[in-house]
Amino acid sequence: MIFSLNLSFSDLLLLLPEILLTCWLCLVIIVDFVSPRLPKEQLAYLSVAGLVLTLGCLAWFDIAHVSGALFGNMFVLDRMAIFFKVFILGATILVILSSVEYVNRFTLFRGEYYVLVVMSAIGMMFMASANDLLSVFVSLEFSTLGFYVLVSYLREDMASNEAGLKFFILGVFAAGLFAYGISLVYGETGQLVFSEMSSAQATPGLIIGFLLIFAALGFKIGAVPFHSWIPDTYHGAPTPVTAFLSIAPKGAALVILLRIFLVALASFKPVWVYLLVAVSILSMTYGNIVAIAQRNIKRLLAYSGIAQIGNVLIGLAAGTKMGSDAILFYLLAYLFANIGAFAVVIAVSHAIGRDEIEDYRGLNRRSPFLAFAMLLFLLSLAGVPPLAGFIGKLYIFVAAIKEGLYTLITVGLINIVISMYYYLIVVKQMYINEPIDPSPIRISGPMKAVIYVGLAGTLVIGIYPQPFTDWVVDATLMFSNFVTPSATAVPSPIHVGG
Amino acid sequence: MGESVLLYILFAPFLGALGLIFVSNRQPLLVRSIAAGSAFVALLASIYLFYAYDPVKGGFQFIQKIEWSRQLGISLHLGVDGIGTPLVLASTILLFAGIFVSWHIKDRTKEFYIWLLILAAATIGVFMSLDLFFLYFFYEMSVIPMYLLLGMWGSHTKKYLEMTDSEGMKLRDSVGFIFNFGSNSKEYAAMKLVLFLSAFAVAALMGILLIYKYSGLNTFDILVLREQANLMNIPVLGTTLDKIIWILVFFGFASIAPLWPMHSWSPVGHAAAPAATSMLHAGVLMKLGHFSIIRVAFEILPETTRELMPIAAVLCMFSIIYGGFVAFYAKDTKYVIGYSSSSHMGYVFLGMAALNYISLSGAVIYMFAHALATGMLFAMAGWVYDQTHSRDIPSLGGLSNKMPFITACFMVACMASIGMPGTVNFIAEIMIVVGSWNKYPLQVIVAMLGIVLTLAYLFKMMRGLFYGPMNQKYSHAHDAVSTVDRLPLLIMIAISIGFGIFPTHLYDVVRSGVDPLIVRITEVVPVAQSGSDEGVQHTVSHSKIPLTSPIIADEVAATPLQISGGRE
Repeated sequence: MIFSLNLSFSDLLLLLPEILLTCWLCLVIIVDFVSPRLPKEQLAYLSVAGLVLTLGCLAWFDIAHVSGALFGNMFVLDRMAIFFKVFILGATILVILSSVEYVNRFTLFRGEYYVLVVMSAIGMMFMASANDLLSVFVSLEFSTLGFYVLVSYLREDMASNEAGLKFFILGVFAAGLFAYGISLVYGETGQLVFSEMSSAQATPGLIIGFLLIFAALGFKIGAVPFHSWIPDTYHGAPTPVTAFLSIAPKGAALVILLRIFLVALASFKPVWVYLLVAVSILSMTYGNIVAIAQRNIKRLLAYSGIAQIGNVLIGLAAGTKMGSDAILFYLLAYLFANIGAFAVVIAVSHAIGRDEIEDYRGLNRRSPFLAFAMLLFLLSLAGVPPLAGFIGKLYIFVAAIKEGLYTLITVGLINIVISMYYYLIVVKQMYINEPIDPSPIRISGPMKAVIYVGLAGTLVIGIYPQPFTDWVVDATLMFSNFVTPSATAVPSPIHVGG
Repeated sequence: MGESVLLYILFAPFLGALGLIFVSNRQPLLVRSIAAGSAFVALLASIYLFYAYDPVKGGFQFIQKIEWSRQLGISLHLGVDGIGTPLVLASTILLFAGIFVSWHIKDRTKEFYIWLLILAAATIGVFMSLDLFFLYFFYEMSVIPMYLLLGMWGSHTKKYLEMTDSEGMKLRDSVGFIFNFGSNSKEYAAMKLVLFLSAFAVAALMGILLIYKYSGLNTFDILVLREQANLMNIPVLGTTLDKIIWILVFFGFASIAPLWPMHSWSPVGHAAAPAATSMLHAGVLMKLGHFSIIRVAFEILPETTRELMPIAAVLCMFSIIYGGFVAFYAKDTKYVIGYSSSSHMGYVFLGMAALNYISLSGAVIYMFAHALATGMLFAMAGWVYDQTHSRDIPSLGGLSNKMPFITACFMVACMASIGMPGTVNFIAEIMIVVGSWNKYPLQVIVAMLGIVLTLAYLFKMMRGLFYGPMNQKYSHAHDAVSTVDRLPLLIMIAISIGFGIFPTHLYDVVRSGVDPLIVRITEVVPVAQSGSDEGVQHTVSHSKIPLTSPIIADEVAATPLQISGGRE
C-alpha cells in the first residue's frame, strides 16, 4: 500500500466537517474550564451550535457534490458518507437537546458529558467515511471509548455502573474479535481497502476473518446472537445516552456493513445472504417475542431495537442498491421515532422518576401532548400507516421481494403483528387506563423541541416520502455498479403477450 | 367541485381531525361543530359524486393521480366506479349520522371526534383507491383508530356474552371460545380486533407484494396491473402462483368482512365499541373486506376468481347460519346486532360467489343497504344503553312507553334488516337470491333460512327491549326528543326507504361497475390462432377484443360470440 501524506488544501477540505467539529470540541472544553460558573446548559447550546455549523458544512458538500478519497483510500467522502454524517449529527443534536435537563442528575462532570457525546459523534463520523479495515477499527474504538464513559455516567447508580461494565467487557471482546478478523483478512488477501478485496478467493481464513468482523459489527448494531449486552446496558445507562446508543452507533456500523457486504464481498452474495437471513430472522423474532414480557419501557425499547435491526438486515440481505436505499430510508424513519420515544421517556421519568410501563398509566390525561407523541412514535416503530415506519418497512419488503426472499418477508410480516401487541400495551396504559396521580406533567423547552422534531419527521416522511427517497437513492448511487441488472432495470411495461 | 370531488370527500374528514387538534376540549360545542361541519362537507360532496357519476359512461370516473413515490411506483391514484360510489356515499352518511349519535359524549370529546374522523376518512380512502399500496395504506390506517375508540370510549362486555338456550343451558360461541382467553374487558376486545385484523392484513400485504413482484411492472397501480399483469401459470409449491396470491388476498381481506371462521373478533368488538364506532364498524368497515376482494382479487386475477370463488360459496353458508343462531341466543343487544351483521355479510359473499350480473349487483347494493340498516340498529342500541346503562335483553323491557320514537324507528330498522319490500335491503336480497339460484341452490335455501332467523332474533330483541313488563329501574329513561338526537335516525330511515322506492339510479350506478367486472371474470379471450403456444390468454381489455365464453373458446376454437347477459 502506498501511503502519502502530501495533503493539499483541497484534500483537507474533505476533512473539514471533522476538523471543524474537533476544533469546536476543544472550544467547548476550554469554555468549560475557563468559566466554571457558566450554567451547563449553555455548554449544551454551544455544542449544538457547533454541530449545526458542521451540518451546514455537510449540506454545502451535498449541494456542491464534493467527494473524494484521502490517505490511500482509507478515508472516502462519498454521498453515502455524507448521508450518514448528517444522520449522526442529527441524532447527536437531538440527544444533546434532550439531555439538557437530565444532566442535572449527574453529580460531577456535567460539562464533560457534552464533550464526550460530541467526541463519540466525531468518531462515528470517521466511521461513516472509513473505507478500509484499519480506519474502521480505529474510528470504531474511538467512538466506543466515549460511550464506555457515558453509559456509566450515573456514578451512584449501581445499574448504571453495571451497564458500563457489561458494555465495556463485551465491547473490548468485540474489538478483539474485530482485530483478529482484520489480521486474518489481511493475511489472506494482502489488502485492507474494501474496494480492492472484491476479487479475493474464498479461502477458509478469509471466511473466518469476515465472520469475526461481522460478529464485532453485529455487536455494535445489537443483532441476535450478539445482543446480550443490549437490555442491561440500555436499562442502566442514563436515558439520553440510551437514546444515543440506540441509534447513532447502529447507523455508523451499518454504513460499514454496507461497504463490506456490497463492495468488498459483492461477489460472495449467494453465500452471505444465508448468514444475513438467519441473523435477521433471529433478531426480529427474538426481539419481538422477548419484548412482550418487558415491564420497563427502556428494556422494551431495547428489545424493540433488536427487532428493528432485524428488519434493517432484511434490506442488507437483499443486497441490492434498492436494499441499501431501503436501509437508509428505514434508518431515517427509525431515527425520528426512536429518539422521539426516548425523549418522551426522559420527559416522563423527569416528572415521575421511574420508567416502568405501569407509570404511563393515564398519560393521556396528565399530558395529552406527550401521550399523543408517544402514540405516534410507537406506531411508527410498529409500522402503521401513515407514519414513517410503515413506508420504511414497505420499502425494505419491496426491495427484498424483488430478490425473492420470501421466507424473510413472511417472518418480517408476522413480526409486525407480534410487535403491534407490545406497542399497544403501552398505548393501552397511556390512553385507556386511568392515572393514579392525575397531576399534569411539565415539559421543558428543549425537550419539547426534540419531540416536535421527532413528530414532524415521523409524519412528513410517512405522508410525503418523495424527497427522502430521492435523497437516499442519490446517496447509494455508488452501489449501482455492484447490482445485477435485472433487479434495478425497469422491465418493459408490455408484458402481456409473453 | 367537479373533477376533484374525491379529494374533498377524502380530505374533509382529515382536515376536520387536523383542525380539532388546535381546539380546546373546554369548548365542546365548537369541537362538535367542526366535526359535524367536516362530515357535512364530505356528505354533500359524496351526494354530488353519487349523482354526478355517469352510469352510461361507466368505468372509473373522477380520477385523480398524484405521483407519490417514483422509486416504489406508487401514486395517489383515486377514482370510483359503480361499486365504490355507493360505498363512499354510505360511509359519509354513517359518519355524519355517527357524529350526531355520539353528540353526548363528554369524556375527551375532542379526541373522540379526531379518531372517528380519521377512521371514516381511512375507510373512504379504501373505497376510492386505485393503487394497491394506498388501498392497503388506508385499510391498515383504519385499524388503529378502532383500537383507541374501543378502548377509550367503549364499555366492558361483562357477562352479557354468556348465552342460554330455552332450557337454561349455557351456550358458547365455540369458534370465538378458542380465541377467547376468558376476558370480557374492552381492552381485550380492542386488542383482539387489532391483532386479528393486522394478522390477516399482512397476509393480504404478502399477496400484494407477490403481485408487485411477479407482474414485473414496478407499479402498484390497479388499472395498469389488471391490464398488463400476467400472473397465470407460474408453478409454485405444487400449485400455481395466482392461486396462492388469490388465497392470501381473499382470506386476508375476508377477515374484516368477517367471513366465518374468521369472525370472532367482530361481535366482541361491536359489543365493546361506543355506538358511533359500531355504526362505522358494521356499516362500512366490514365492507372494506368485500370491496378489497373485488378490487384486488376480482380485478387483477379474474380467472382465478372464477376458479376459486366456490370457497366463498361454501363458507358463506356457515356465516349465515352460524351468525343467525348465535344472534338468536345472545342476550346482549349489541352482540345480537353484531352477529346479525356477520350473518348478513354472508349474503354478500353469496352474491359475490355466484359471479353473475344480478347477484354481484345485489351484493353491492346489499352492502349499501346493510350499512344503513345496521347503522340504525346500532344507533338505537346505543341510545338504549346510554339511557339504561344496560344491554342485557332479559333485564330490559317495556321501554316503548318511555321512548315511542325510538321504538318506531327500531321497528323500521328491523324491517329494513329483514328485507321488507319498500326498503333498499329488499331489492338487494331479492337480487342476490335470484342471481345465485342457478348456481348455488343450496346456499339460497340457507339464505332464506337466514332471513327467517333474522326475523326471529330481531323480533325477539324488539320484544325484549320495548314490550312486555317494564323494569322500574329504568323509569328515568327518556326518548330521543331533540333534533340532534332524531336527525341521524331520520336521515338513515329516509335514505333506506328512499332508495327502496326509487332504486333506479343506484341500480344503474352499481350495474355500470359490475358489468365490466363480470365480463372480465366470466369471459376469456382466445389468442389469435397461430397454433403455437397457450390456447387461452388472459383478458386484456374487454372493450377492444370480441368476447367469447371459455367453453366456446375451448371447443369451437374462437368463433366470435356476442354475450349479452349472464351465462346461466
